[in-house]
Parts: sequence; structure tokens; C-alpha cells
Amino acid sequence: MENVIELQHVHKSFKGFQIKDFSINVKKGFVTGFIGGNGAGKSTTIKLIMNLLQQDSGTVSVFGLDYKKHEKEIKERIGFVYDENVFYEYVTLKDMKRIIKPAYKNWDDDAFQRYVTQFELPLNKNMKTFSKGMKMKASLAIALAHHAELIIMDEPTAGLDPIFRRELLNILHELMQDEDKTIFFSTHITTDLDRIADYITFVHNGEHIFTKEFYKIEEEYAIVKGTLNLLDQETEREFVAIRKTNTGFEALTADKNRVANIFGDSVIVEKPTLEDIMYYTKKGW
Amino acid sequence: MVNLIIKDVLIQKKIILLYIPIIIILLLGSMSSPLYFGFVFSISFIITSFSYDEKDNANILFNSLPYTRKEIVSSKYIGSLVFTLAFIFIIYSSNFLLNGKGMMFLWKEILLIIGLVMVAISFMFPIYYKFKMKNLPIIASALVGILLLITTFFIPNLFGEIRELTLKFLTLQETQMYFVTILTIIILYIGSWLLSIRIYTRKAF
Repeated sequence: MENVIELQHVHKSFKGFQIKDFSINVKKGFVTGFIGGNGAGKSTTIKLIMNLLQQDSGTVSVFGLDYKKHEKEIKERIGFVYDENVFYEYVTLKDMKRIIKPAYKNWDDDAFQRYVTQFELPLNKNMKTFSKGMKMKASLAIALAHHAELIIMDEPTAGLDPIFRRELLNILHELMQDEDKTIFFSTHITTDLDRIADYITFVHNGEHIFTKEFYKIEEEYAIVKGTLNLLDQETEREFVAIRKTNTGFEALTADKNRVANIFGDSVIVEKPTLEDIMYYTKKGW
Repeated sequence: MVNLIIKDVLIQKKIILLYIPIIIILLLGSMSSPLYFGFVFSISFIITSFSYDEKDNANILFNSLPYTRKEIVSSKYIGSLVFTLAFIFIIYSSNFLLNGKGMMFLWKEILLIIGLVMVAISFMFPIYYKFKMKNLPIIASALVGILLLITTFFIPNLFGEIRELTLKFLTLQETQMYFVTILTIIILYIGSWLLSIRIYTRKAF
């Protein structure tokens, strides 16, 4: 399967934070959800992919191309939605379009107009008056108007109400009917991913923990609940992390079948949510 | 790259409308040469667009669009010259229409304005690219504006010394002297340009 984004052995260090030997692949034609806690390195990774940051070492390639030689070609084909505002506050959406449009070779005015109408965005009001959701939609309209093959979104659903979030997910879902499109988005509202993600990439503390197909996560990981007397030094090793209470324990395993063999019917095995996985991974670190 | 220069005009569309009546008032109200307005307006226009870019994260936007960092920096250096010429044209043609002032020393004044703007920018741009100066440009241009108003209407002699120096320059006859000055400024400008590209390409957003 073809990779749209490839990061290989990327190192980047800042004061007080670093990502080390970081390698991820994003598959073409799928939605990849990018999860991790605050400060896990999600935004840094996205900035590396967008060439807003340059790695200290390692390689970043997008569409199989290198930023050093093909910066413009790559960015022609990327649509982006950022968490922070990137629009001039005292400029209307119409003028914002005028500013952005000439940057792209294959800008489609009709498509832009169509999305603006669909998203009910006012063209003649200053961007300052736009709510966070409207700005996100404006970014999306711009991303879709130049027929981007790869859409990168940094926390697009953060701070949006549930109705808005669902609308966005529907739009993305529609978009994915086109098999050549790829979506890579970071979020910590993991329930958004249930509806749309094909792959999950999980980072923690500047390290890549896993990239897996969504359904496989449910096959491999499990939440195990049981009484405390089942735990000893040996069995505790089977878990990513354990949460003990007076009445018993709850733990996450990365190998459901093995745990089922060891404990048999003495424990309850449940499907984990992505939040469970994030929580226990952080705890077990 | 032309798009990026046009962008600087678009984001200041509303402010440009303010510039025109101010220019007219200043031209009608003062006896001094429009040379200073040319300099001040050009610089304030250039710095304002710079500060908008910083305030509204425009650098993140433009670096995500298909532009190279070299183009983004170069558009500022080329744009600055374009805007300065535009202001000179507006100011001198309004001055001619309003006051019917003759065209004595005109080309020397124009050269002086362009030279001053180029020198100022050569120092300011690399500093702005290097450091975050959120409010500084706005404060600086406001101060310059106030200073300009004071010197125009209240204490016209504050700039006396500078004016004398300017006059000296304007009455200089030696072509060689001009040539050397122009060359120095051009070298300074290009050096600053290259330095800014170097700073900007290494910048993290």
C-alpha cells in the first residue's frame, strides 16, 4: 500500500521537549486519526509534515517527495486546517480568498462557492467575527477548493459543539468516497475517530507507540477487570498498566488472547476505548 | 510572488483610504517639503503590514501555501520598493495639484526618500524576522506619526538640523558622491535581504 506521508528516524529537540527516532507512515486513501495527550508531540509532528518546522535529522517525505526540492509541488496538493487562527482578523473571507487563490494552480472558484454556501459562511464579514467553527469551515472550504489530495488537520474538532463536530465528520466522510484522498488528523476527542478513522496513530512523550488499523486495536487490546488476588509480580507484567482499587483491579493488555489464556474465566474482558488505551499507556510509562 | 505584494495592499485596504486625506491635510497645512511624509508613510505602511502578518499568524498560513520561504521574504523587500514608489507618486502628484509646487530638485528628493527607506528597512527587517515584536512596530509608527504632527504644526524647527543635512545632500553637485552613496545603499539592502532569507528559512513556526 502506498504511503502519502513518511517520517523516518526523525529527531527534533526543543527546550524541554524532544521527539526521538520518530517514524510514521500515513497510508493513501484512508483516514488516519492521530492521537496522544497534550504535549505528546502531535502538533510538532504536523508542523514537521507541513515543513513549518525542520527536523534536526531523519527524513520527512510527502507524496514520496522531499521538501528541499519539491516544496511547492507538495504544498499544491495539501489542504490544511489548523487549531489556531491563521486568517487576518480585519479582512473578509472574500478578500482572504483573493489572497489565497493565486497561490494555487488548480484553484476551483465554483467549488469554493459551493462549500461557502453549504457551510453558510458570510463572504463580506471580517474574519474577526467568525466563530471557531466558522474559521474551521473556512479553512476546510479553502482546502477543498484547490482539490487537495491530502488533508491535514490539527485538532479540527477541539472547541466545537457536538452538532458542528458531527457535521464536520459527515463532510469528511463524503470526501472519502474519493479513493485518492487521504486525511490525517490529530484530536484528543477520541470518539470522533470511532465514526471515521481507518487507522490510528498513537504518540506519547514524543515517541510513536503504534499505528494500527482501528478494528485491530479492538482485537488486540482489552480492558481486564478482576479481583486483587489474581495479581502477582508475574501476572502484572502482562499489562500495560494497572489501576487498583479496594474492590479489585482494572488493567489494559496489549495481548487479549494471551491474557484470556492466563486468567481464563476468573476475569472480565472488555473492549477498550481509545481513551482507555491513552490513559493506561500514559500511566504505564 | 506578485500575489504576496498585492496581499499587503489588500490587508490594508481600509487604512489606505485614511492615508489619502492625511496626506492632503499635511500637504495643505505645512510649508516643509513632502520628503518627510514620503519616508514616514512608506515606512509605516510597510511596518503595519509586517505587524499584521505577525499578529494574525499569517506566517503559518503563507508557509503552508505553495510558497517558498525565499519568496515570502523577497516579496517584502521588493514590495517595500514598490510601495515607496507608489507613495512618492501619490504625494508628489497631490502636492503638484494642491500647491502647484515646482519640480525643483525633485529627482534628488525622490532618491533621498528611497535611500532612507532602504536604509531603514535594511536594519529593521532582519531584526523583525529574528525576534517577535508584537506591538513594537505599531508603537513605533504611532510615535513617528505623533512626531510628524508636532513638527508639522507646532515645532517646525525640530527637524532643523536634519533638514540642513538634507539640504546639503540635495545641493550636492558631485556625481561621484551620489554614485558611491547609491551603491552603498544598494549593497546594504541586498545584504540585509540575504540575511533575512537566512534567518527566515531557519525559523520555526
